[in-house]
Amino acid sequence: MALGPLAVFAIFLLMVKTNPLETYWDMLRSTIGNTYGLGEVAVRAAPLILTALAAMVPARARLINVGGEGQLAVGALTTAAMAMVLGDRWPQAPTLILLALAGMAGGAAWAGLAGVLRVKLKLNETICTLLLNYIAFLFVGYIVHGLLKDPESFNWPFSPPLADVARFPTLPHSRVHLGILIAPLVAGLVWYFTARTYWGLRLRVVGGNPEAARRAGLNVERIQLITMLVGGMLAGLAGMIVVAGVEGRLRPATGVGFGYVGFLAAWMVNQHPLWLIGSSILLAIITVSGDSLQITAGLPASSVNILMALVLLGVLARFYQEKKST
Amino acid sequence: MIVAVLVGAIRSGTSVLFACLGELVAERAGIVNLGAEGAMLVGALTAFSVTALTGNPYLGALAAALAGALFSLIHAYLAIHRRANQLASGLAVMILGQGLTAFFGRTYVSTQIKGLDPVSIPLLSKIPAIGPILFQHDVLTYLSILLVPIIWFFLYRTRWGLVLRATGERETVAYATGHSPDRVRYAAVAFGGLLAGLGGAQLSIAYTLNWVENMTQGRGIVAVALVIFASWSPWQALVGCYLFGGALALQLTLQARGLGVSPYIMSMVPYVLTLAVLLVVSQRQRNAMPEGLRAVFEGT
Repeated sequence: MALGPLAVFAIFLLMVKTNPLETYWDMLRSTIGNTYGLGEVAVRAAPLILTALAAMVPARARLINVGGEGQLAVGALTTAAMAMVLGDRWPQAPTLILLALAGMAGGAAWAGLAGVLRVKLKLNETICTLLLNYIAFLFVGYIVHGLLKDPESFNWPFSPPLADVARFPTLPHSRVHLGILIAPLVAGLVWYFTARTYWGLRLRVVGGNPEAARRAGLNVERIQLITMLVGGMLAGLAGMIVVAGVEGRLRPATGVGFGYVGFLAAWMVNQHPLWLIGSSILLAIITVSGDSLQITAGLPASSVNILMALVLLGVLARFYQEKKST
Repeated sequence: MIVAVLVGAIRSGTSVLFACLGELVAERAGIVNLGAEGAMLVGALTAFSVTALTGNPYLGALAAALAGALFSLIHAYLAIHRRANQLASGLAVMILGQGLTAFFGRTYVSTQIKGLDPVSIPLLSKIPAIGPILFQHDVLTYLSILLVPIIWFFLYRTRWGLVLRATGERETVAYATGHSPDRVRYAAVAFGGLLAGLGGAQLSIAYTLNWVENMTQGRGIVAVALVIFASWSPWQALVGCYLFGGALALQLTLQARGLGVSPYIMSMVPYVLTLAVLLVVSQRQRNAMPEGLRAVFEGT
């Protein structure tokens, strides 16, 4: 499945006079070829798993949530705001729990906006969430230039650094932090809920045939709204992990790209909550290797966007074949 | 200042108008193309690079139109031939456009070009206030305004327009009258990409005169949203796009005057405005939606 896009990207690399085999080898060596690279992949994959889930849960109710990007940004913002309020007053565990709650609330609120527009006014959620992404990043920009600006940052648009108690414990000499464990746990929970509970059953009915669900007495709109809220919560949690894990403060570009790549990860595996752990790790390898491409092959980091779009296009083209054969 | 804002509304609304009209034609045939954002970027970069290499901005605009049309065929293939989810496929094409243009555009970041000059229309451009607002623009701007009645005429007064609309409403009708819905859709999406490419060209070689990574800033997405606002009608699209352009222009004018509002808040206004107009008109708009789009937009 992954061979088609890899081959097309190889042709692209040849066109720009870069050796594709060497490039792929570099991409592998710099990511899963050493402990530091592996750590970077893990750190990158964790928020991706959550933003992938943020796309997957609404997708189960036939909603296309492309707002993971903005929901993560708002979650990161509320996390940073909560961290500023709390300071270092409380011990680590309750501080981190409150931060996670703040992040989830922020993300859910942002997604809820699109969800309400969708179920009350039938406004298409794809377009709403895309527009809200732009608004969210401008809003974060506004806040880090104003309310949350670090007075000691010499005019750089940063929030003040989070207190030590508001940071996840990290492994020595690495950026790997405890927060990354949350992501697979949440993925397991989402799998359990969708596959093994009455809730999941109702969701399957709504996703399978909304009209049948409506006739069976299910409140389709309510279920759709809830999936959006849950999606936003998960994206907001991703924002919290980014802020309390690696970044340690809010910047204007905190979490940029995670939303779209997570969306891609969910579509790659046809919205399966456990398989998307795998696709998220794969895409994390591709994004992390983007940085090394820049250094070794002189390609801009954005070139991996091309590879990622190709992967998504390949996946989308594949679905039809599967439908046909069954 | 009012004249400045109105001139700016047209100058900055034109790129959106191109994309919006193109999207409108594609949606009338039943295909939603979020890849318009990508096609605009491809158009903007193609126009800019061709202008920089040849020194001829008209050649640049032509190349941009072709590039936009070709680029949109990726989406057309996936949506029509492979029956992929249109919104997801459009999004993939958008990301591809962002990646490709960021990659190929990096050598043009500080290049300077001589773009399309404004062409004053004799006599009319001398009218106070109205002259500068309407009759002192680049050729692409005039073209975009001319396209509004042309597309209207095509859709409602020609046989081909009827076939196109039938394809979007109920493809079996088009099929029964001996037309291939797929072929109509390919043509409509390619035409939409062509206009999105021209919109990108207007942005880079007539308006900003530079190339910046991801310079469309969501204009393609806004164009898709404004098609809904416009109830799939070219005339209302014109209104919507200049409204968006006006919000952009007002924001720039106010910033230039040093108004004490954060530029971030000001930059939000066009997007918030787009969402707000969608909100206001959404109920009415549902009836105007081509039947074939309902499955895409409402997922039911």
